[in-house]
Amino acid sequence: MRPENAIEVRDVRKNFKIYLDKGHMLRERVIHWNRNRYERREVLKGISFDVKKGESVGLIGRNGCGKSTTLKLLTRILRPNGGTIEIQGRVCSLIELGAGFHPDMSGRENIYINASIFGIKAKEVDRRIADIIRFSELEEFIDNPVRTYSSGMYMRLAFSVAINVDADVLLIDEILAVGDNSFQTKCFNKLKSLKEQGTTIVIVSHALGQIEKLCDRAIWIDEGVIRQEGSARKICKEYLEKMEASRLERAELEYRMQLEDEKRKKEEEERRKEERKQEEERQRQEKKREEEQQRKHEEEKRRNASCRKIATQCGPDARRNGSGEVQFTEVKLLDAEGRESLCFNTGDKMTVTMKYQSKAVGEPLNFVICLTRDDWVFCYGNAFKSMTKQFCMSKKSGEVEYTIERLGLLKGKYFMDVRLQKPNSEECYDIIYSLFEFEVKSPGLHEAGMLHMDCRWEEK
Amino acid sequence: MLKRMTDIYEYRDMVFSLVKRELRGRYQKSVLGMLWTLLNPFFQIIIYTFVFTVIFPSSIENYYIYLMTGIIPWNFFTEALGQGAGTIVSNAEMTKKIYFPREILTIAAVTAKFVNMLLAFVVVLAFLLFSQVGISWHIVLLPVIMFAEYLVALGFTLFFSAITVYLRDMEYIVSVLLMAWIWATPIMYDINNLGQQVGRLLLLNPMTPIMMSYRNLLYYHQTPTLRTLLGVLGIGFVLLVIGELVFVRLEGNFAEEL
Repeated sequence: MRPENAIEVRDVRKNFKIYLDKGHMLRERVIHWNRNRYERREVLKGISFDVKKGESVGLIGRNGCGKSTTLKLLTRILRPNGGTIEIQGRVCSLIELGAGFHPDMSGRENIYINASIFGIKAKEVDRRIADIIRFSELEEFIDNPVRTYSSGMYMRLAFSVAINVDADVLLIDEILAVGDNSFQTKCFNKLKSLKEQGTTIVIVSHALGQIEKLCDRAIWIDEGVIRQEGSARKICKEYLEKMEASRLERAELEYRMQLEDEKRKKEEEERRKEERKQEEERQRQEKKREEEQQRKHEEEKRRNASCRKIATQCGPDARRNGSGEVQFTEVKLLDAEGRESLCFNTGDKMTVTMKYQSKAVGEPLNFVICLTRDDWVFCYGNAFKSMTKQFCMSKKSGEVEYTIERLGLLKGKYFMDVRLQKPNSEECYDIIYSLFEFEVKSPGLHEAGMLHMDCRWEEK
Repeated sequence: MLKRMTDIYEYRDMVFSLVKRELRGRYQKSVLGMLWTLLNPFFQIIIYTFVFTVIFPSSIENYYIYLMTGIIPWNFFTEALGQGAGTIVSNAEMTKKIYFPREILTIAAVTAKFVNMLLAFVVVLAFLLFSQVGISWHIVLLPVIMFAEYLVALGFTLFFSAITVYLRDMEYIVSVLLMAWIWATPIMYDINNLGQQVGRLLLLNPMTPIMMSYRNLLYYHQTPTLRTLLGVLGIGFVLLVIGELVFVRLEGNFAEEL
């Protein structure tokens, strides 16, 4: 080490472990036993510089460029991974203010504690305590507990201790922003006078104005290497220009990003609106459909119930449908004596009387009767038009009768549907499925199947 | 290593002021203040005396004196280790921002508890004086044993406080360890009442000879042999050196790990 140097830094390197999953807990350690993954990030990639005795040097650079790390290496809080650091004389660092302050103890006691952490002997503090108190401007409060101090008073006390320390080398990290303006000026002047007394100062700050005024030299650190060093005025100017340029660049980038963001947001919004609209539409339709169904269901129920009104013999499964312009008003199933009946023998006479009501007069109508067995086999069908070759022309209200002279069905359970059909169309004015559920018996007949036929056996 | 020792020595005032902060700061807001450091052991002894004369009478003569000559030194060890193990972690901000030999924090924590024990011994001696056991000239050797215990406590605390930085569970493991440790040390019972085998096993515990030495001086009034005295001091130094070596090995990355 050269005798004129206070600090010599040679090719210093520093890595930090960035843990990907930092596990301090035993559980995590055990689980990730061999998986304690971390990345090494190079913060300093080999920097070298000298600081002469009595010189003051400012370290400048962007956030995260490694200047605070450099300072911590100088104070020996961190150890370099490579390279050497040599310092001559007593070092004092003003990195953390108010270390070890106990809130319940008085300002005076805290001065001793704080100073002792900087490695200053009690005897030395005894000598300087008057200076320290005077500098802090806290004479009246010095014997009150520190917890009663305002934050400004607290920092003033802390700074006074730190700055009144006799040191050959003073390391300062961004702490000149303490107290009010007048106190800041006072601190600054104190630093200047320390410098004039021959103290070596290394200072990290973003306040370039202070560095320009205080420092002889500035070192510009950028991404872990020294980018430039030289007179404070020159370096600060260049740094500022570079920062301004990158600030503009960044601002533009941010502006662009913001624009993009907004665009994306807008699109997103629109998309969402569209979706919401579709969703609403869907829901509306769904609701409509449900209502429709509900209505239909109720209508059906009402209609099915109406079957009972028009036919006292109505079966339990009767279902009614149809457009309703012409409607049955009364349907009866009668036996040979003209009595309502649901029980017939094969060969009996069967009559169906149908009364109807119509909104329009003179509309052609077709009446249809269908018979189905209880196993859903269609047995028989007949229509007014197919037998009479003409339509029944509607009146306001009318009656039609259909008679089967001899019932041809064999024994079983049968259903009768009645229909009021619009001509030449499948559409019905009124249709009642399974209106009657009637029973047929075949006493004395021995035919099998569905139909009774006039037949005989003969041997020739 | 020598440089390290002188470095720590240079910072001795920091130890003093941290101890002072710990002792004064702790009771600063209470009405009785520092008096509590005396009242605490006083009431502890009163309670033990009550329990072991009224509830569980013990076969050991003057059992409460027997007990307190063990409990008070043990309290120091437990508190030093129990709280000292987390001291680097709890002072993380300071450790990350300011340079000082990191051992100072641990030394200060242990020393504060040691001073507590010294104060508690005022109470112990008062009790001894008024009991049938009395005080003999052997008491002049008490500082030697205390010093040995201090070394043992410091050694263990250095060891555990450094490990706690890397493995935060250590703090809790230590408290469990201490729970078991009190029963592995002849404090509540007499080692001579145990079998030969078990007794020998207990001697592996470095706290056993220390506790027995306290007893011999204060309770049995026996003169320890020079070998015993050197023995406990030797144990103390060895443990301190081991603790310090581990500490130095781990200390380099404290600021990064915290």
